[in-house]
Amino acid sequence: MKKRIFSVLLCMAMMASLLVGCGSSNDGGDDAKSEDGGSDSGKKVYAMVAKQAGNPFMEKMAEGFTEVVEAAGGEAIIKYPEEGKADHQITAIQSLISQGVDSISVAANDENALQPALEDAMAEGIKVNCLDSKVNADSRQLFVNQAGVDEIGQALMDAVLDISGGEGQWAILSATSQATNQNAWIDSMKEIMEGDEYSKLELVEVAYGDDEPQKSTDQTQALLSKYPDLKVICAPTTVGIMAAGKVLQDEGSATKLTGLGLPSEMAAYIGDGDDSSCPYMFLWNPIDLGRLGAYSAIALVNGDIEGAEGETFDAGDMENSPYTITDAGDGGTEVILGQPFKFDPSNIDEWKEVY
Amino acid sequence: MAGKSGRTIAHTQNKSLLKRLMCWESMLVILFIIVNIYCSSLSSTYQINNVLREMPKYLTEVFLLLPMAYILVMGDIDISVGSIVCLSATVACILGNKGLPFGLVLLVGLLTGALCGLINGIIVTKFTELPPMIVTLGTQILFRGIAEIALGSGGSISLEHAEGFRMLAGRVGRIPYILFLVLILAVIYIIILSKTTFGRKLYAIGSNKLAAYYAGVKVQKIRLIVFTLTGLMAGLSALFLTALQYGVNTTTASGFEMNAISMAVFGGISTAGGKGRLQGGVIAAFIIISLRVGLGQINLNPQVILIILGALLILAVMAPNIVEQFKLMKKRSSVK
Amino acid sequence: MKNSKSILKKLTASREVSLIIVLVILCVAIGLRSPSFLTLKSIADMFKNNVVTMIMAVGMLGVLLVGGIDISIASTLAFSGMAVGMLLKRGVITSTPLAILIAVGIGLVCGLLVGLVVAKGNVAPIIASMGFMYIYRGLAYVISNNEWASADSLGDFKNFALGKILGINNVVWIMILIYIAFFILMKWTTLGRKLYAVGSNREAAEISGINASNVILFSHTMMGVLAGLCGALAVSIYASAQANMLYGKEMDVIAACVIGGVSMTGGRGSVLGAFLGALILAIIAKALPLVGIEAIAQNTVKGVIILVVIILNVLTQRSMDKNSLKEREL
Repeated sequence: MKKRIFSVLLCMAMMASLLVGCGSSNDGGDDAKSEDGGSDSGKKVYAMVAKQAGNPFMEKMAEGFTEVVEAAGGEAIIKYPEEGKADHQITAIQSLISQGVDSISVAANDENALQPALEDAMAEGIKVNCLDSKVNADSRQLFVNQAGVDEIGQALMDAVLDISGGEGQWAILSATSQATNQNAWIDSMKEIMEGDEYSKLELVEVAYGDDEPQKSTDQTQALLSKYPDLKVICAPTTVGIMAAGKVLQDEGSATKLTGLGLPSEMAAYIGDGDDSSCPYMFLWNPIDLGRLGAYSAIALVNGDIEGAEGETFDAGDMENSPYTITDAGDGGTEVILGQPFKFDPSNIDEWKEVY
Repeated sequence: MAGKSGRTIAHTQNKSLLKRLMCWESMLVILFIIVNIYCSSLSSTYQINNVLREMPKYLTEVFLLLPMAYILVMGDIDISVGSIVCLSATVACILGNKGLPFGLVLLVGLLTGALCGLINGIIVTKFTELPPMIVTLGTQILFRGIAEIALGSGGSISLEHAEGFRMLAGRVGRIPYILFLVLILAVIYIIILSKTTFGRKLYAIGSNKLAAYYAGVKVQKIRLIVFTLTGLMAGLSALFLTALQYGVNTTTASGFEMNAISMAVFGGISTAGGKGRLQGGVIAAFIIISLRVGLGQINLNPQVILIILGALLILAVMAPNIVEQFKLMKKRSSVK
Repeated sequence: MKNSKSILKKLTASREVSLIIVLVILCVAIGLRSPSFLTLKSIADMFKNNVVTMIMAVGMLGVLLVGGIDISIASTLAFSGMAVGMLLKRGVITSTPLAILIAVGIGLVCGLLVGLVVAKGNVAPIIASMGFMYIYRGLAYVISNNEWASADSLGDFKNFALGKILGINNVVWIMILIYIAFFILMKWTTLGRKLYAVGSNREAAEISGINASNVILFSHTMMGVLAGLCGALAVSIYASAQANMLYGKEMDVIAACVIGGVSMTGGRGSVLGAFLGALILAIIAKALPLVGIEAIAQNTVKGVIILVVIILNVLTQRSMDKNSLKEREL
């Protein structure tokens, strides 16, 4: 008997706490919300969901995003997932929906996994765009692309051709075998390689370092010992290029490196001489990417654009402003930031301070 | 060790109402209330409909908590459940995209999970010398590895026919189906553990395997059943998780095992076996969910949330031990 | 005749010898597929790249011997590594020995805390270290301030992992010294015996006058010191400090110990075993890309190898027990 009373008490306590905790906040919450609305006088809230915490590229992107949003009189929320995985981005997006933000800009870890969460967001009237890495066409209104896939492929291919001296073996060191961006760039490079001028180049292997320094080091060393005549390694990933740069430079290897890397992290490896492993590499400005993401989010929220092809929007003092929305080729639309930027010994010292 | 006669055997004895109210579960209920009041004071958007909307993702982990509690009570551990979820979801997605009827997809998803659990069970019962931790560490890497191969170079599959799964993610009014299912299963699991001979046998195995064996408990058979059951529940979790992301990728459900274990332990279940009640685990799960949702509302750095959860876990487990030690010291000094 | 037979028996009876046999077979098989594997340079590279796991494996041996486990070590490593990285980046410190000392100090405190909770708070080691795993990793992120410390900002510190003495890399020397120290500790000191005693039978050890909780505290503190040291080494080896470094690698360290025959229930295991276990994992990691196994299948191969090794281990143990039983009957 006593036991039964006890369990009934337990259940009642649980229910009561739900009511006390959440229920009262429901009433109080409405009041608070209207107060908030009053004091902020319709301040718009723009949220960005980063790929992962602790990543300087994302941090710089967030910096640009925040700067533009605050200059426009809005409030910026930068939301980091617990880990760099799609699972955790789902909960981050859902939390933002609860907060009733006006727009969500997401750098996706998986192209499709965020669809239900982002569909929910759009159903609530929240504007959704993505930057850096896209989500599928159904779950976004606009993709802010750092550079066209083919432009990146072309730039990297030309770098390989130039550094190798026009012929010989080369290899790719990528992130994980599932990384969407990297796979798209590699596919594009392979397509470009069909061209006649690249006929003397031989792509011997695509290795995957999973964006871990240890594994990337293993993979680079394996490439070197497997292919003694290797001329160039192309690493289109910021962690991979760092690990490869370290290995090649330490060994004074004749193999040279190019790819996509952060200037601040790669400055030690960029140089013309034999004792530097990387003659030059590419990237785009993450700060500008974040800024363009913010400008497009603001335009979406203000109703200036709907993310349809052919629309244009103003992007303040950015280089290519106003930007035009184009077809992304996947059923959705995109806006392209610009060409990938080349970092070589002449400009690396200037840029390593910036990002 | 302070002895294994702590919490479990308590409920066979007749105690006063007051003493019952002093148990760990009541503490957890109080903590649950505090957390909810705290969260709603933090943010005006911590409202019941928002909590219910964000809940399903976290509830997929509670599916794993229920059988994990059984495993821990037996003194075993299973750290492969996250990988089983990933593999089951992969199989379900592939078959769903092949155009199989939805019912069959669900069934195969569940069976994949059960099969993985069965493999774990067979290894740990045939090779009883091996600690389950290392066996399930091996299968953790293996099952996810198989999922990686099946997912191919893309690393993720999205559902082409999401209608069926969309139904799983549906809700009655504001309350998602998954919450009903979790609560019903939780009640069933609690009753089995606390009211049936099967449950008693689990405690017996956890307290002393050898003694249980000599008392006629079919130790290995029960372990096999529970490990398979865990796999089955992981399959169930996989189906709902798939419904929440219309697909699966190689990192799906990684870390679920640690979350399930920490919920159970927070709820008073000992990893040494033979101790604790599932009621506590379920309440603890809802405390953690409330805390995560609530702190998410103020956009606290998720790493700080992890620090808070880690500290809470350690304190929750250490508190009763310290109280016990203190009592012991008092007793000793009074004897002197 | 009798003598040679007993030597043979001794050989097959020893866990380490069977591991060495497995190692030799593995090396020959890989060497046949890929001749570049068995070069001096490739082996030196392998050691340098796996120093961290190898050092932590011997610390984990100590923890496993007393019947514990510590899954917070990768987080401790990230915390100490990140702290050193940020201090160097901000220019607070420049000297390499000081950086290593700070890392060791951080590791010591981290390990001590885990040890206190386990030994004095009576919390199950897996739970205590799981809590600290979240806490230390979180701290690593918090102090990183969303930045990495990279080659350019690490100054001389990154050269430490390039330096060589007698043709052997500095970091490998550190590993060798640690292994020798632990070998002596486990074999010839009372403290080492106490570790085994507490792990085999805690009550018996306590009755015979060993303060078991202090021994457990020591094992976790030692583990923390090594993890902290590894944080500094990892930053130096890869010339980069990231908050998520070696995420999830604690499982590799535990797997290395178990493959090396260290019992997870305590009391059994040797320094040589831990070393060989870590070496096998290192060779697998090194060899998979060399022999051209698809990246996508690597986890499956790794999982199968772990399962096969531990099951084989049980089977040989069983047949050995049976044999010795038979002998006694005769």
